[in-house]
Amino acid sequence: MIKIERVSVTYPGGVEALKNVDIEIEDGEFVVIVGLSGAGKSTLLRVLNGLVPATSGSIIVDGTEVVNANSQTLRQVRSKTGMIFQTFNLVNRTTVLNNVLMGRLANVPSWRSTLGLWPAEDREAAMLALERVGIVDKTYVRASNLSGGQQQRVGIARALAQEPSLMLADEPVAALDPVTSRQVMGDLQKINRELGITTLVNLHFLDLAKEYGKRLIGLRDGVLVYDGDINKVTDETFREIYGRAITSEDLHAMNEEQQQSVGNGK
Amino acid sequence: MNDSTKTSKRPVKPKPRARSFLIALVLLVLTFWAAFKVSFDLSTFWEVWSNPIWSKFWPIPWDWVFTKENTFDPLIETLQIAVASTLLGCLVALPVSFAMSSLTTPNKVVYFISKTIMNLVRAVPDLFWAKLLVTAIGIGAFAGAWSLSIFSLAVMVKLFSETVDAADPRPLEAARSSGARHLPAVKTGVFPTVFPSYVAYSLYIFELNIRASVVLGLVGAGGVGRVIETQRQFFRFDRILGLLIIIFGIVWVIEQISVSLRKRLV
Amino acid sequence: METLSDTSTSSQRPPAPKTFHRWFIALPFLVAIIWSVTGLNITLSRLIDAPGDAWAILRQMIPPAFGEVYKRGAVGKIFESVYIAWIGTIIGAFASLPLAFLAAHNVAPIWIRSPIRQLFNAIRAVPELILAVILIPVTGLGAWAGTLAIGIHSIGTLGKWACESIEDIDEGPIEATKACGGKWVTGMRWGVLPQVMPVISSYWLFRFEINVRASAVLGMIGAGGVGSELVSQLSFRNFPAASAVLLMTMAVVLTIDTISAAVRRRIIKGAVNTDEESRTLEAITDLTGIRS
Repeated sequence: MIKIERVSVTYPGGVEALKNVDIEIEDGEFVVIVGLSGAGKSTLLRVLNGLVPATSGSIIVDGTEVVNANSQTLRQVRSKTGMIFQTFNLVNRTTVLNNVLMGRLANVPSWRSTLGLWPAEDREAAMLALERVGIVDKTYVRASNLSGGQQQRVGIARALAQEPSLMLADEPVAALDPVTSRQVMGDLQKINRELGITTLVNLHFLDLAKEYGKRLIGLRDGVLVYDGDINKVTDETFREIYGRAITSEDLHAMNEEQQQSVGNGK
Repeated sequence: MNDSTKTSKRPVKPKPRARSFLIALVLLVLTFWAAFKVSFDLSTFWEVWSNPIWSKFWPIPWDWVFTKENTFDPLIETLQIAVASTLLGCLVALPVSFAMSSLTTPNKVVYFISKTIMNLVRAVPDLFWAKLLVTAIGIGAFAGAWSLSIFSLAVMVKLFSETVDAADPRPLEAARSSGARHLPAVKTGVFPTVFPSYVAYSLYIFELNIRASVVLGLVGAGGVGRVIETQRQFFRFDRILGLLIIIFGIVWVIEQISVSLRKRLV
Repeated sequence: METLSDTSTSSQRPPAPKTFHRWFIALPFLVAIIWSVTGLNITLSRLIDAPGDAWAILRQMIPPAFGEVYKRGAVGKIFESVYIAWIGTIIGAFASLPLAFLAAHNVAPIWIRSPIRQLFNAIRAVPELILAVILIPVTGLGAWAGTLAIGIHSIGTLGKWACESIEDIDEGPIEATKACGGKWVTGMRWGVLPQVMPVISSYWLFRFEINVRASAVLGMIGAGGVGSELVSQLSFRNFPAASAVLLMTMAVVLTIDTISAAVRRRIIKGAVNTDEESRTLEAITDLTGIRS
C-alpha cells in the first residue's frame, strides 16, 4: 500500500518537479502514469524509492516513511522495490547473469558481492527470474550483445530477482520498437497478475496505456490532473494532460500501431 | 538601387583589447629575461658538433657491455623494480581513484581529502621523491621501488580517475535502486566497465617504470641507472651509449607487447 | 512453468562457462610478482622498517626552515627552474611545429613523414635527464644544459601530439583554399593552422607544466634550477631546509598548474568569464581539481 501525501519536489536548480501530489495505491494495482516530458513522471517514481529526495510531504510505502528516511531505511525500501529504466541501465561489459545478480545486492553481505562470491540461493533466484522472463538461455551472454527488447527483459529479471513488492517502470518501452514494446508491456502485465506485484509504469502516450493499464494517472507540470479509470478518459482529460486537444493525427497514429501489433501477432 | 537609408553600414573592425597587447608584451619581455637567465647561447647549436667530447662516445665497448655484472644483473634488477612498483602503485591507486571521482566517492569528506592529498603528491617532481626516499631508506633498489610506486600511483590516479569520472552512471543508479550499499554498488555497477582501462593503464605504467628506472639510478636508486651514474662519473660515455642502446632495445620490445595487449583490452 | 511472451528459444539453462583459462592468464603475472619481490629482498622486516625510517626523517623536516633557505637564494633557483622550463618549452614548441606538419599523413608524403615520425619517437624515448647528462660535457654545467635537454625532449612529445592534431582536422578549409587557387603553404596557413592552433597551444602549456617539474629534477645533476639546492641540503642532512625547498617548489608548481589550466581552458572554450565570483571558483577548481 502506497500513500503519497502532499508531496512536492523542488530540484536544487529551482525546478519544481512535483507540486502537492496526493495519491493512494493499493497492493497489486497496475497503474499507468502519463504526461509530457518534464511533467514529473520520473520524479514521481524516484521519490517512491528515495532516489530523489522529496522537498515536503509524506510517502509511506508498505508502512515505512520514505521522506527524510535514513540511508538504512531507504536501502530496505529499495530492496523491496524493483526499478526498470528507459535505457535499461545494464552493465554492458559483463554477462546477463551478473546483471541480474545485481538485484540480489541488498540480500547479500557486502564482502560477498564485492568479491563476486554469490551464495547458491541468490544464483538460483537470479536464474529463476531469467526463466520467468524467458531469456535464461542467454545467461552467460554479454549484455551488450543482446537486442533492445532482450536487454529490457534482463532489466525486468534484475528487478524480479529482488522478489519485490513494488515495481517501478520508468518509460520502459520508450527506446523500443512498437512490437517489442507490446511484448515488454505484456510481460509487466503478466508479472502484475501472476505475482501480485504492485506496478507503476511511466508512459509517454495514452495509446499503450489504454491497452495495458486499468488505472491512469496524468501529470502536467508537476501537478496531478487525472487519477481514475483508464476507460473513462475523454478529450477533456487529454487536453488537461497534454495541453492540447486530441488531434486526428494522434488518432491515426494510434490506429496504425494497433493494426501493426495485430498483424504481427502478440 | 534603393534609397540610401536601406543600405547597411559597414561594421567597425573590433579593436583588439589593450589588455591583450599588454599581456603579449609582458610575456615577450619575460621570455627575453628568461633566455638571458638561462644563458641562452645560440652558438651551441653549431659548436656542439665540433666538440671533442663526441669522441668519447665511440667506439662502443661491446665486450664490456655484454657482461653479466655490468648489464644483465642491473637489467634484472630494473625489471624487478618495475614490476614491484607498478604492482604497489597501481594497487593503491585503485581505491584512491574511486575515492577521488565524484561519481563513485562515498562522501564529501573522503572526496576532498583524497583529492587534496593526490594534488600535493603530484606537485612534487618525481625524482625529488626518489632522492628523499634514498636519503631516508638508503641507496639501492628498495628505495627505487618505493619511489616508482609513488610515481605509478600519481600517474594511475590521474588517468584512472578521469576514466571513472567519464563512466556510465546508469548501472550505478540501478544498483543503488535495488538497495545496495555503496561499495557493492560501485563494484557491480561501475567496476566492470572501467576495469579494462585499468589494466591497460597498468601495462602502460609498467613501460614508464622501466624507462624511469634508468634515470632513477642517477640519484642512486638502483637498477641500470646505477651503472650509468657510475660510468658517468668516469666519463665513460662509450659504455653508457652501449648500455642505452641495449636498454632502449628492450623497452621497445616490451612496448610492442604492451601495445598489442592493450589493443585487445579496449 | 509458463514463460512470458516471445520469439526466443528454449527455457533450458545453459552450462556455466569454464573458468580455468583465467588461471592461464593469472599465472605469469603471479610468477613475475613473486620473482620481483624475492629478487628485491623485500623481506617483511624491511617493509616494516621503511616507513618507520621515512617517518623519522619526516619529523625532522618540521618545521621547514624557510628563512635559512631564502637567504641561500633558493627562490632565485626556483625561478631559474621556471625559466629553464619556459625557454625549453618554447624551443620545443617552435622546432616541433614545422616538423609536425611534415610528419602528418594528410600533409606530407611518406618518404618525408616516416623518418620524421621515427625521429620524434627516438627523441621521446630518451629521458631529459639522460639528454642533460650527454649535454653537460658539451655546454658545461648550468641552466643552458637543462634548457637544451628539455627543449630537445619536448620536440619529440610536442611533435607527436601536434602531428596527431593535424591529422585529426576537417579537410574542408584546405579544399577551400585550393579552390581559390592558393598554394600548398597557403592551405597550411589558412586552412590547417587556425583549426589546430588552439589544441596545439594548449598542448604547449600542458608541456610547460610538466617541464617545470622536469627542470626542478635536472638541477639534481647540475643542469640548473632548484634540484641542486635540494640535493645539497639532503646531503648535509639539513632536513628542515630540505623541506622548505620542497614546499616552495610545490607551491610554485601548483601555482603554475592553476594558471596554465585556466589559460588552457580559455583557449579551448574561447569563453570569457567576467564574473568575479565564478573566476575565483574556477581558480579553486583548477588548483584542487575538486568540483562541487
